[in-house]
This record gives sequence, structure tokens and C-alpha cells, in this order.
Amino acid sequence: MKSKPSSYSPGLAAYLFKKKMQKIVQSIFLFCIIIGLCFTILYPIIQLVPSVFSKVEDLGNPNVIWLPMHFSIISFKAAIRFCMPEGIMTMVKSILYAAGIMLIQLFFSAMAGYALARVKFYGHRLVFFLVILVFLIPRQSLLLAQYIYFTHFNAFGLLKLFTAAGEVNLINKPFTLVMIAVLGFGVQQSLFIFIFSQFFKNIPNELEEAALIDGCGFHKTYFKIMIPNAIPAISTVAILSFVWNYGDTYYTRYFNKDGPYLSSILATKFADNNKDLVLNAVKVWFNVPLANDFAFDAIKQAAVLIFLIPLLLVYFGAQKWLVENLENSGLVG
Amino acid sequence: MKNKFQLKYKTRRKLNGFLYVLPFLIGFFLCFAIPLFNTVMYSFNKVSVNDAGGMNFTFTGVQNYIDLFTTELTSERQPMIRLFTDQNITILINIPLIVIFSLFMALLANLKFKGRGIVRVIYFLPIIFGIEVVTNMLAITTGGEWTKQSSGLFSQSYISVLLMQYTNIPNNILIPVISYVDKIFDVLSQSGVQTLIYLAGLQSISPSLYEVAKIEGATTYETFWKVTIPSIMHITLFVAIYTAVDQFLTSPISEEAYSFAFEHSKIGTGSALSVVYILNVLLVLGLLMLILRKVVKRYEK
Repeated sequence: MKSKPSSYSPGLAAYLFKKKMQKIVQSIFLFCIIIGLCFTILYPIIQLVPSVFSKVEDLGNPNVIWLPMHFSIISFKAAIRFCMPEGIMTMVKSILYAAGIMLIQLFFSAMAGYALARVKFYGHRLVFFLVILVFLIPRQSLLLAQYIYFTHFNAFGLLKLFTAAGEVNLINKPFTLVMIAVLGFGVQQSLFIFIFSQFFKNIPNELEEAALIDGCGFHKTYFKIMIPNAIPAISTVAILSFVWNYGDTYYTRYFNKDGPYLSSILATKFADNNKDLVLNAVKVWFNVPLANDFAFDAIKQAAVLIFLIPLLLVYFGAQKWLVENLENSGLVG
Repeated sequence: MKNKFQLKYKTRRKLNGFLYVLPFLIGFFLCFAIPLFNTVMYSFNKVSVNDAGGMNFTFTGVQNYIDLFTTELTSERQPMIRLFTDQNITILINIPLIVIFSLFMALLANLKFKGRGIVRVIYFLPIIFGIEVVTNMLAITTGGEWTKQSSGLFSQSYISVLLMQYTNIPNNILIPVISYVDKIFDVLSQSGVQTLIYLAGLQSISPSLYEVAKIEGATTYETFWKVTIPSIMHITLFVAIYTAVDQFLTSPISEEAYSFAFEHSKIGTGSALSVVYILNVLLVLGLLMLILRKVVKRYEK
């Protein structure tokens, strides 16, 4: 098309030039916005660098803006000593917890989503409405009654058959968290059920019919035909579920307070009223009598960075999946 | 014979389907319906714990609700009604900001340019950075109060000082605008999932629609308003509701019920607060749905 630019009439050349300039200006403008937004997103993490890596004595020095004066990793050492009583095992345990709950959530919400989308059993509309209702009502508003109910858990009175007391105390047992996830009330699980049901609605009927003609039963159709076809929805839900379970402080803090979950340890250890405790410990451990509020912040932020490492690894590993499978992930109903 | 078999198959299918949702249904009663019923019940009673560890109830009618709004204070020594109005106003302002920003980011991430992969990776990072623990921990405690280090970035910058002092824009317009710009870190950190949903929606628009628009001679601006916006309008409804739910989940009202019950052992008042909170959430969501339904309908015509 542009083989002989010299043959253009001056008017056309001017038009083409104008178009080209317009395009250049537009792309510069876009570039600025895109980079700006990237910066805005990354800024909270970038700004940690100077305080996290500097010596405790240098913190709060107004001369330090981006580069720490004396490089040190004391904050990280302190953070590890505070948050990981069992060393790396604490992190491994909380990753395993998040992965386990993720698998349970995937299994049960995919089943519920499939049934709600494809099987017209009596009251499926009602059940779907209940899923939406559970999603809409914030879980904290029921915490109080849930907590009290779980301390005297009787499962509709069925437990009388097994134990003498007729009730068990479910609080502060790892089993409770598993039970909640199985029953479909884990972190945002109603949203996951909703996503799966939206996804399964869009799978063509013919697939199921073909499976039926080939002699598949209900369960075989589901596990052999539906699940392999649901990879986009599964990968989206899996990533969201893992991230949210790993970062969850609500269920872990209230229903299994003493469990080895990094997120709840962070939330309790670095609560505001723990500040003096943390600072005193740091002063003794690392022989820095000048540790002040800034040191508390630095240690806290170092702890966050450590906490984020597995999440970022999972995220960078899985993001290709996440973005590529988006359009048929069931997020869009 | 055949007919009989078919009927049998259908009932079996229904039973199996019911089996698949059974865990959720049991969970609904154990984790939702019974606690909800109990919350309402506690809120009308004065609850005290007796020596045996059980609970005593004395019916007091709406006394808990009256107490809640007249005598009780929040953990920050504010009247309850103030907390509710503050939170509702913040949430109602945040919802449109988050929805518009996430749409904007999704549009940018959907463009074709070099290095799009990296930009997408960064744009979805708020899914991780937006977790409550992380946002709480990034807040700094220096100076005795909780502030977000990034929150004052724009209002203390040269640009805003310049705008305030050397232009004729009246301050009562400028100050809210500057405070909204200041919020951008908050808004962005909460828009991860919404961007994801919008991008999924944008990708599902058929490219032939854009081709037609191009052949018909529509400009990019016209294409955006006539093709893109109508096709993602129904997603906007979902995004807005998700945002509202998410905002309420992280709002400090929910902490109050806990502090009433476990720190002051006033289970009745805490439950009353929970009931008011649930009603508040449902009211806001209903309002949101009513407004958005109308907008969506207008676009779908």
C-alpha cells in the first residue's frame, strides 16, 4: 500500500501525516495511562522497599526516600521469628490448608453448580435463590449466632445417637473448617457455586445426550464428560479460592484460633495493641535499643512480603490460565 | 414399557441432582438458617450466661434496638447511627468509582499492544493485594493512628497545592475531587475481581459486531457507546452487586457485633446490630438493583 509514497497528492500526504501523528499521540497517551495505572497498583509494594531493607536505626530518617542508607535484613529476621514459630513449616502448613480447602470447595461447589444448572429437580429455583441469598448477606452478621451454635453443636439433634451429651464443641478444631467447606459455606463459596452454575448452563445439551446414549450414568456423565469440559471455570475458581483461603482471617481466627495459619498469625501478632510487645522483643533479640514505631511498621511490612511470596508464585504460575480461559469461565452469565 | 423406563430415568436424575446439592442444603440450615433465626431471637431478648454454661433469655421486646441507637457507643466512641451513615455513604461513593475504574482497566487490558501480557499480570495483582490482611498490614501505625501510607499522596502533592492556590476553582468543589483522587489506591486495590469479570465480558463480545461497526463507518467513540457498553451492561449489574457485597464484607460495622458480644458480653445488643446490618445490606442492594435494572433495560431495547 505504501510502496510509492512520492506519488501521493499533497492533500493525501497531509491527510496521511495527520492520521499518523494522531496515532502517535494516541498511543503515547495510552501508554502513559497504562504505565500510570501499573505504577498505582504496584506503589504500595514498591514503597516498602526502603523501610524494609534499612537498618532499624535509620528508620524514620527523612533523608531516606528510595534507597536505604545501610542495607540490612533485620526486619525480615524479626518477622520470621515472630510469625513462623515452626520455621518454614508454618508457611507449608498454611499453604497445604489453603490447597486442601480449595480442593474441597472445588469439588462440592462444582457438584452443586452442575445440579443447579442442568437438573430440574423440584425446588431447584428455590435452592438457586438460597445460594444468591447466602452470597448477599455478609457472613460476619451471623458470626455471633454461628459461634454460639457451634459451641453447642447438635446437628439437628442427630448427635444424640452417637454421644451421650448430644452436642460437641466445634470451636477451635481444624475439623470445623473442613466441615464448613464441605457444607458449602467456606470463603465466598456461594459465589463459586454461582460461577459453576453459570458455566454449566452454557454447555450444549448434546454432550449430555451423547453420553447418555453411549451408556453413561448420571455420575459417570458428570465426572467423565462435564468435569474435563469445565477446566476454564475450575481454573478460575481454583485460583480465587486458593488466594482467598490463604489470606482468610475470618474463619481461621474465629473457628480455629490456635491453628497454624499464617494469615491469622499475622493479624493477631501485629495487631495495634501488640506494638510494645513486638518492639520490646526486637530490642532484646537484635540489640537495637532505638527501635521505635517505624521499626514496628518495617517488621510488619516485612512479614507481609514474606506472606505474599507463595501467593505471588502461584499467581505468576497460573495467570496465563486465568486470562486465557476467561471468556468461557462462567464469570459472565 | 419405554415410557415407564423414561420416567424412572428422569426421577433418578432428579434424585441424583438433589444429592449433589444436598451438602449445600444441609449447610444452609446448619450455618445459615439456624444462626439467622437465633440472631433474630437473641436480638429480642436479654441474654445472659448461667452457671451451667447454658443461656438464659428474658424477653425484652425492642429494648436492644433502642439501646443500640441511644446509649451504646462503637469501639471508637461514636454513636451507632453515625457509624452506619458514614459507612453507607462511603460504600455508595465507592461502588460507582470501583465499577468505572475496573471497566476502564479491563478496556485497557483488552487492547492489543506489545507487552500486554505483563500489563495484564499487573492489573490482576489487586486480587492478591486486596486481601484484607494485606491491606490492613500495609497500613502504618506511626503517629498513633492508623493511616494508609499512600492515602495522602495526591492531596500533599504539588499538583493539588497548585490547584488550590493558583486557580480560581472554588475550594468546596476542589477538596472533594482531591479526596477522591486520593482514594485511588483504595479503589484500585479492591477492583481485581471486577476487572477480571469485565475482561471476561469484553472477550465474549463477538468480533463481527466490531467489524460491522467499522464497515458502517462508526468512529471508535461511537463503537464504544453503541457496541461495547450495551453488550456488557448485564455484567455491570453483576459487578455492581459483587462490589457492594465486597464492600460490606470489609466494612468495620461487622467488627462491632463481635466486640459487643465477646468483649462486653452483650449478646442481645450485638445480635440487634447484626439484624440492623443485614437489613441495611439488603436495602442498599435492593436499591442498587432497582436503579441498575432500569438502566440495563434501557440499553437492552
